[in-house]
Amino acid sequence: MNAAPVAQNPFRQQFKAFVASRREPDTITRRRREGFDRFIALGWPTHHQEAWRFTDLSALAQIDLQRPTNVPIDANVLPTLNAPAHRLSFVNGCFAPALSQLRGLPNQAIIASLGQALLTHPDWIEPYLEQLPGLSQHPFAALNAAFWEDGAFLHLPRAAVVEAPIHLIFYSIGDHIGVYPRLLLVLDEGAQATVVVEYRGEGRYLNAPVAELQLGAGAVLNYHQIQEESPQAFHLGGIRIHQQRDSQMNSHLVSFGGQLARVDLEALLDGEHIHSMLNGLSVVDHTQVSDHHLWVDHADPYGSSEQLFKSVLNGKARTVFDGMIHVRQHAQKTEARQLNRNLLLSRQAQANSNPRLEILADDVKCGHGSSTGLLDPDALFYLRARGIPVEQARALLVQAFAQDSLNRISLTPLRERLANSLAHYLALGCIEEQ
Amino acid sequence: MLEIRNLHATVEGREILNGLDLSIGPGEVHAIMGPNGSGKSTLANVIAGREGYIVTEGEVLFDGKNLLEMEPETRACEGLFLAFQYPVEIPGVANLYFLKSAVNAVRKYRGESLVDAMDFWDLVHERMELVKMDESMLKRSVNEGFSGGEKKRNEVFQMAVLQPRFAVLDETDSGLDIDALRVVADGVNALRSPERGFLVITHYQRLLDYIVPDYVHVLVNGRIVRSGDKGLALELEQQGYALYNEEPGRARRATA
Repeated sequence: MNAAPVAQNPFRQQFKAFVASRREPDTITRRRREGFDRFIALGWPTHHQEAWRFTDLSALAQIDLQRPTNVPIDANVLPTLNAPAHRLSFVNGCFAPALSQLRGLPNQAIIASLGQALLTHPDWIEPYLEQLPGLSQHPFAALNAAFWEDGAFLHLPRAAVVEAPIHLIFYSIGDHIGVYPRLLLVLDEGAQATVVVEYRGEGRYLNAPVAELQLGAGAVLNYHQIQEESPQAFHLGGIRIHQQRDSQMNSHLVSFGGQLARVDLEALLDGEHIHSMLNGLSVVDHTQVSDHHLWVDHADPYGSSEQLFKSVLNGKARTVFDGMIHVRQHAQKTEARQLNRNLLLSRQAQANSNPRLEILADDVKCGHGSSTGLLDPDALFYLRARGIPVEQARALLVQAFAQDSLNRISLTPLRERLANSLAHYLALGCIEEQ
Repeated sequence: MLEIRNLHATVEGREILNGLDLSIGPGEVHAIMGPNGSGKSTLANVIAGREGYIVTEGEVLFDGKNLLEMEPETRACEGLFLAFQYPVEIPGVANLYFLKSAVNAVRKYRGESLVDAMDFWDLVHERMELVKMDESMLKRSVNEGFSGGEKKRNEVFQMAVLQPRFAVLDETDSGLDIDALRVVADGVNALRSPERGFLVITHYQRLLDYIVPDYVHVLVNGRIVRSGDKGLALELEQQGYALYNEEPGRARRATA
């Protein structure tokens, strides 16, 4: 079927009604229109487009996506960190104050609902929203720019350090709805924060979040994104990152849920001595698809970046890793490393790996690698030869492979929780922590 | 306790073991020596149950039970241990955790409860000293980044913790310097007991200076061509295997 007109027409009507219902500054409305026009211009992606070659959206195209409605949810369906945290919860893209809790913050630091802040303090938001380059060819980021209602806003002033993790939970509930949450995280010079973003839900919905992360000079952001959407859900997210000199971004993208989950990330390393670490883990089974497209752009000298993505695939699941490290001519002394490792637990599973380096500078250290394979039979035999039953031996090896990614997470309560989830998603029963 | 009768085995379609007979009783240490390619490691792997080693004829009994019908893990739980010639590195699985899983798997098989954490810790510490292993090796991933000597020591350490009834040591001496060899041999000797049997596979006589065998067998072309006491090892050291390689027929007559 030709999905494009079917999918776009309802969006057009929806957008008209949506914009009419909003009361917000003209500049914001203008940005929405720009976003929507961009979506119309880009059109619904097809597998003929290189960037969407492995992402089959035909199941999503058949859904007539509606605006979500307000659904009350029970607090205990939301994940916790088991540690003191600033917590903002959003249900179907809208702030849920009753499910949120803010603690004391450094002077002039702001953690707020983006929607509320836009009403009360548009001057907080306008200078930062939609100001970053990147994702210009991403139709769902454009759709988000048009339809976003709410989300999380974090602004840390110069040298502000928020010790407790900032826990941002996005829960989607319902069938045939499209949810477009937004994150705007602004860290001024020398600010530091640890952020945990969690995507969860129930039903057959589309969640198309966009995160904009801005790190000023010397800022440090530990960013975790845990995707555990409902098994019927589609997750098509975008992340834009802008880093200034001496800043440090440690990000962890964990993907367990959804029937189709895709993250497009573009990072501009815009200054000297910037570090960017992108760590990823996908665990997929049945017919799940997990898809990562990363673009890290070294614009200046002395930067370092790492992309370490692992996936474990069972059933007929599929993963895509499409990682690019781009080193501009001016970005001498760049050190960059890219590694994609895929463990196939079934011969029907498929991992597409496309690690790419594009290096225009001549004095750099860059390397990349990719491996896809089944469990090591020698390791399996070694464990069995010590008396460990074959199923347990297999579980041990798979767990070890994936745990390696989680071990890079320094936020202990999250790492421990994820280790438990890992055992669950690997369907390995309970495995005690080593 | 281990009875091997007329064992024939193939690897990738090639016949490697060619009618091997061997009988080892409790408390006995048997050494198998032989040139490269004589089938020494194949024998070890067949006993342990590695995939790809096909037994085409003959039988292997362990305390009267048909070993060849058992899964590798069942053999281990029955009390069989193979010290690997090339121990595998397993990134992400901590040595201690692995060992505890193994101990508990064996206990479960025997219908015993899981090992008490304190008892296990005590046992591990005691056995670590036996092979002069550093505690840091417990926390490291199994064999990952271990030197050749550390890997072999780790094998003997595992054996000491698991306390099998019968152990096969597959070229445990290869790649060891004399100090490491002594440590490994001391570990093995400490485990010698009237109930426990050993099959020591080696290319060199040197190991047998430290682990003194009760019997020595010479394996050539997949069968045992000569058996004797520890003196045979010394004889081989002086004469080499050339005699057997050149005229296997005569060697066979000599044992008859």
